[in-house]
Amino acid sequence: MTAPLSTLRILDLTSGISGPWCTKLLADYGADVIKVESPGVGDESRAHGPFPEGLPHREKSALYLWLNTSKRSVTLDITTPTGRDLVLRLAAGCDAVVLDQRASELDRLRLTHDDFAAVNPRIVTTSVTAFGQSGPYADWSAANLTSYATGGQHYLTGDADREPLQNGGYQALYQAGTWAFGATLAAIWDARKTGVGQQAEVAGQEVMAAILEIYLPDFAYRKAEALLSRRGNMSTAVVGIYPVIDGHIGIHAMPKNWPQLLDALDMHWMAEDERFVDNRARLRNDDDLMAQMYIWTSGVTKGEAYERGGRFRAPISPVNTMADLLASKHLAERKSFREIAHSAAGTMRYPGPPARMPTSPPEVSPAPTLGQHNKEVFTDLLNLSPQDLVRLSAAGVV
Amino acid sequence: MTSSPLSPPTSHLPLEGVRILDLTMVWAGPSATRLLADMGAEVIKVESARSWDMLRSLHFLSGSPPGWYDKAAYFNHNNRNKYGITLDLQSARGRELALQLVAKSDIVFENYRADVIGKLGLDYPDLRAAKEDIILVSMPSHGKSGPEKGNVAYGTNVEQLAGLASLSGYPGMGPHKSPIAYGDPNAGAIAAAAALAALIHRSETGEGQHIEVAQWEAMIGNVGEFVLAWQMHAAATPHADIDAWSEEQRIGNRHRSRVQGVYACAAEDEWVAVSIGSDAEFGELCNVIGQPDLAWDARFADVVSRRRHHDEFDAIVAAWTGSRSQDEAARELQAAGVSAAPVLKIQKLLRDDNLRARGFWETVAHPAAGEWDMEGPVWRMSRTPGHVRMPAPMFGQHTDWVLGELLGLSAEEIAALETEGVTAREPNAGVHS
Repeated sequence: MTAPLSTLRILDLTSGISGPWCTKLLADYGADVIKVESPGVGDESRAHGPFPEGLPHREKSALYLWLNTSKRSVTLDITTPTGRDLVLRLAAGCDAVVLDQRASELDRLRLTHDDFAAVNPRIVTTSVTAFGQSGPYADWSAANLTSYATGGQHYLTGDADREPLQNGGYQALYQAGTWAFGATLAAIWDARKTGVGQQAEVAGQEVMAAILEIYLPDFAYRKAEALLSRRGNMSTAVVGIYPVIDGHIGIHAMPKNWPQLLDALDMHWMAEDERFVDNRARLRNDDDLMAQMYIWTSGVTKGEAYERGGRFRAPISPVNTMADLLASKHLAERKSFREIAHSAAGTMRYPGPPARMPTSPPEVSPAPTLGQHNKEVFTDLLNLSPQDLVRLSAAGVV
Repeated sequence: MTSSPLSPPTSHLPLEGVRILDLTMVWAGPSATRLLADMGAEVIKVESARSWDMLRSLHFLSGSPPGWYDKAAYFNHNNRNKYGITLDLQSARGRELALQLVAKSDIVFENYRADVIGKLGLDYPDLRAAKEDIILVSMPSHGKSGPEKGNVAYGTNVEQLAGLASLSGYPGMGPHKSPIAYGDPNAGAIAAAAALAALIHRSETGEGQHIEVAQWEAMIGNVGEFVLAWQMHAAATPHADIDAWSEEQRIGNRHRSRVQGVYACAAEDEWVAVSIGSDAEFGELCNVIGQPDLAWDARFADVVSRRRHHDEFDAIVAAWTGSRSQDEAARELQAAGVSAAPVLKIQKLLRDDNLRARGFWETVAHPAAGEWDMEGPVWRMSRTPGHVRMPAPMFGQHTDWVLGELLGLSAEEIAALETEGVTAREPNAGVHS
């Protein structure tokens, strides 16, 4: 069986998280992704870490290793005329090029959609940036924090009496990458049908503003402001995170889950108590309900709570740590992690594909070392001679 | 519309001609099919009197009955650009008609608990018997195999299972939840992309496939670097303590290699985010806040020093933002190239200059629910831009049209289905109360 994206070739001019996550997804599903890195330095995530034993090493950064599996790495200085020329020659044979530069920067580099389309009318150029290619913020400097802040979710996260809280890791950057992955495929699908490419643009701010659950529609639609404040870890007594004996658990019970929740808690008397008799009553008596929940949660472990949730089909889950994930029997049986051996960083267990496609490759290759594939890409795809390569290397282009 | 040889005028959408049978409800599945509907796919959402989308029962307009189920904000937000029909899949006739629709579809989406689709007799082999190259996308929370496959989880549970919640929180405090059911839109965006990958695969091989998006697994990748980082730490540290390590990762608004935070502005509960990466960016910040000498202060000489003196950095920035609005602070800093942005409340998000200028908001008119603004398609296609073409379907709005036009049933047959209870005009209100 062939991998689902094995006929695609993608040129990747991105660095950091959003763009590389998008192209990692393409690569892990079989696309040939050629990652262009700056000579001598490489992707900024190579300097990010964490590193084994805390020792910085550009081939051992956890962030780089994770985000760049299955790709080929070439080094090219795209700011030089020769580098730009080689980029365009590579793009001529690609289905898509993924870019994370601001519009003004792409103008300066002369690497706009029109520049690529001039050498390849079918090409899709995917733009993934914080604020988009147009609009008053198009030239703004950005970080995960600014996308999280301007997407609306930041203000709603955290405790009412404290500052807004960013959630863990780099979720705004990852989301932009995930959405760019889909947008790229939609545009490629269209290009294959029509023979004409286009720009597929994803802005981090817009992605975050589009995943605001009830908060945005409720206000936009009803002009109700009741939900628009930070509510900490408890949306209600039965939607939140509770401490237990050995860590924390989460509960998310909708009205229809109430009978199962009572089974899991073994508190059937609550069904008869008028304070909790229906959803309206429970919301009115949320503090009383929370007090009951604390009584139960303070006497269980993560494992016990999860086991009861599973047995009675109540939405209760452990707040898993990274160690819990790697030790999970469920994930082990499903082979949710795959071992990948890297020449410098050694063998580790990496999360598997986010969607299981029966034709997706069971094994993927490790993240490339800087410029690992220069020779094969430049000679096989562009027919450069060994002498050409030596010359380009001496000029600092490769 | 301008025309050039490279971008001929077009009114088509990328997924025109792709038909999707949508058996999903609530948010994860509907967010996936919404992405594809925005790109022109013909999405037919199936509900029934006894199995209807719970979102129809939440947050409806005040004084809504009768017809409350057509007036829910959340439902109408998540189901724009889709058709809606009723079919009781638990009845033999309903299942048979569903399979007839499968025969005319490209993709089927379902997000039932792992065992439900099999009980309905609509599992992948059943669908393949109706359409050899069908693509089925299943989105169970825990997946379709493994000892916990029967467990129930919503989007907040998913971020807890996947480990994100253990990494979120104020420094020194416990795990913190996202305000949204984050597992849902995350799995939805992955599922939509996977369906497109399967379409591309089908066009080359003629093969369909069954895609499984376990929402729990779909989120682990979003913290993938932490999975590796913990293994690195555990390998280098005898008796490494996962709870202590997890607490160290909960750095709130801070960053591993930048100095940053959110800072209080002049108005009550108004904040601006500021993030400093390079020495040059720090120098610009010092100029903007009128303290150029700080750029030569040993406490802030390089990123390591700045991180060591982060609390002092925070106090200096907060002293400056405290007398400004979030917009003034962000604009002044950005004018000098410093990463800064307002922490937008929802009320302000709808008026945000950038989103307005980019035409992000589209006004939608719904026959039962009136007019309001919602975001347009986030996948911005330069040549084939998507828009909100239709409001969300009212309950069973397109039943007659789909059964008549697509399956060729007569008016009498359609009427009989309603009498038999296979289709319905109203949902059974008791299901979600």
